Amino acid sequence: MNSNVWILTFADAISIATTLILATIGAILTERSGVINLGVEGILLMGAVTAFLVGDGTHNLWFALFMSILVGVAMAAVHAILTITLRANQIVAGLALVIFGTGLSQYVGKPVEGKSRPVTIQPMHLGKLSDIPIVGPILFGHDIFTYLTWVGALVCSLYLNRTRPGLVLRATGDAPATVDAQGVSVAMVRFVHTILGGALMGLAGGWFMLARGTAWSQAATTNGIGWIALSLVVFAAWRPLRAIAGAVLFGFTLQVPYTLQGQQINILPPEIVQMLPFVATLFVLVALSTPRARKLLGAPKMLGQPFVRDER
Amino acid sequence: MIIGNFRIELEPRLTSPKWLYAAVPAGSLVFAFIVGGVFLALTGHSPIGTYSSLISHGYTSTKGITNTLGLATPLICTGLAAAFAFRMNLFNIGEEGQMYLGMIGSAWAGIALAGHMPHVLAVLTVLIVGAAAGALWVLLPAVLRAKLGTSEIVSTLLLNYVALNLVNYFIFGSRGFFRDPTTSFPQGRGVEETARFHSFGNSNTYPTVIIAVLLAVALYWFMKRSNFGYETSVFADSPNTARYAGMNSTKLTLSVLLFSGALAGLAGAMYVVGPAGKVDPGLLQIGLGYAGIVVAALARYNFVAVVLTAILFAGLRVGGASLQISSNPVPIAIAVVLQGSVLLFALGGEIFRRNRLRIRRVQQVSVAS
Repeated sequence: MNSNVWILTFADAISIATTLILATIGAILTERSGVINLGVEGILLMGAVTAFLVGDGTHNLWFALFMSILVGVAMAAVHAILTITLRANQIVAGLALVIFGTGLSQYVGKPVEGKSRPVTIQPMHLGKLSDIPIVGPILFGHDIFTYLTWVGALVCSLYLNRTRPGLVLRATGDAPATVDAQGVSVAMVRFVHTILGGALMGLAGGWFMLARGTAWSQAATTNGIGWIALSLVVFAAWRPLRAIAGAVLFGFTLQVPYTLQGQQINILPPEIVQMLPFVATLFVLVALSTPRARKLLGAPKMLGQPFVRDER
Repeated sequence: MIIGNFRIELEPRLTSPKWLYAAVPAGSLVFAFIVGGVFLALTGHSPIGTYSSLISHGYTSTKGITNTLGLATPLICTGLAAAFAFRMNLFNIGEEGQMYLGMIGSAWAGIALAGHMPHVLAVLTVLIVGAAAGALWVLLPAVLRAKLGTSEIVSTLLLNYVALNLVNYFIFGSRGFFRDPTTSFPQGRGVEETARFHSFGNSNTYPTVIIAVLLAVALYWFMKRSNFGYETSVFADSPNTARYAGMNSTKLTLSVLLFSGALAGLAGAMYVVGPAGKVDPGLLQIGLGYAGIVVAALARYNFVAVVLTAILFAGLRVGGASLQISSNPVPIAIAVVLQGSVLLFALGGEIFRRNRLRIRRVQQVSVAS
């Protein structure tokens, strides 16, 4: 078998990981504040279709991505209002967001369905670095967002662990009553981080459309990666840096089916290979469920619990 | 919250008046239609014209309402499946995949077992095998949840994608048991004639609709009267109380999730004995499993209300499909947009049922220095 193919597969895995990292960090920030947002898949779809439509209309890459972020913010704001202000069930509200986002992206995307992407995020060429054999194409042939995302994960990690607001954020997820007693508004911390998370998810969808997606198709564009991102949060133990490693691993399982198909390697039927990322994710979840692993994970203790001062 | 001179407060209600239970969903429906109307208007469609066409094609014409009842049949089952699990705070969101497995299992029974059986027995066997297949598909997440406490939300959902590829594999990827061997066109192998219901008259409504409605009523009654129903409601309100009272939470979790999976599997089986008669990839396009969750949430997990909500949603879908055939076609996805919005508004509206909104004038207090 051609070794170039596997170099390309690794490179693609790292590239796809960009979307997973963005969405996962978005979910981590949200969940660290104690809010669980299951709407990731819906926000990714809306981000993707927005990037496509705006790109189609303006041919301006940056404006298209900016609008994806705005749409992500808007959808996360709906979730925040429902779950924080109106204290709706977070699980059901997130699911409603997925259904709404799936429907709306399909509705507004109908006129452009099957059309190829209007603008493209171009990979960078990093001079000599990109020319190093094997390592060059795998690590140094990506677009600017891939590298920004890595930096973003690092910044996010520092924010969580080394800054005052990060400490407040972690406390809000673990012991909101304490934060409230300190005079900090729990609702405000949760609002800000849910919306920040939504912005990252929107960008994740927009980037995926313009960098990886070839044509808009509601059924095929994100194809469940929002749910994989949610599992990645558990895999990464709510820590942004670990999300990078997890995302590359999951990106690999997402990419392998296409490589095998492209190379016409028919060890397994394509439909069976397509199950691979989901089965792998499931296995990881199972492995992380053992009592020992759970101790090490450290999920936010009040995840999914609304905070009401009177009911404390 | 204070705005200007007014303080807006939410005061918990001890009891909610009966009319609010109906007013919140009805209000959500109105608001959802307004949101849908905005998107319709923005994309150059007349909201009034679209909605009146949707209502006539979905509900008020004879053909419309029979189509709607036909589609509502499996949707009632997935709605019951979601309601059954969600009531106990077990968030099985894998109805979609469990329904596919129900379709596969019942098609297998309809081909392999139904051959020499009398009609009623054959149909019954097919339905039961379908339900069993649905339960089997939720077995792994159920055991993980009951034994290790793994969140069932993501695990049930991931299996939806596995089930989807499984159906595609049986029909498009292989020439195996489920594929019709007589044509090169990829389609499912038909089940025995004895394993299929005839529709009422010339309509698309099948006798399975009666089974689905009876099932809803039976469940309503069972969960109100039985020991099992009582235990699940205690467990839902307070898992600790249930445990102190000696209730077996592992057993409850397992049985609730498995039964929920069986109900979702039954939806797929009803699709086979009714309109499909084979493993039909068309089911993958309608999203009845996900819609079942919306139906259940909107019905506030009340089994009888699930029936009404399922008919309402099926009508949106049927009416939505008819909108695609016109001079200015409206994408069918408008039905999903409406479904999602209804649920979002209903969730938001819940707080006004549980709390009373009080707006008071704030007395300006001057601080003596």
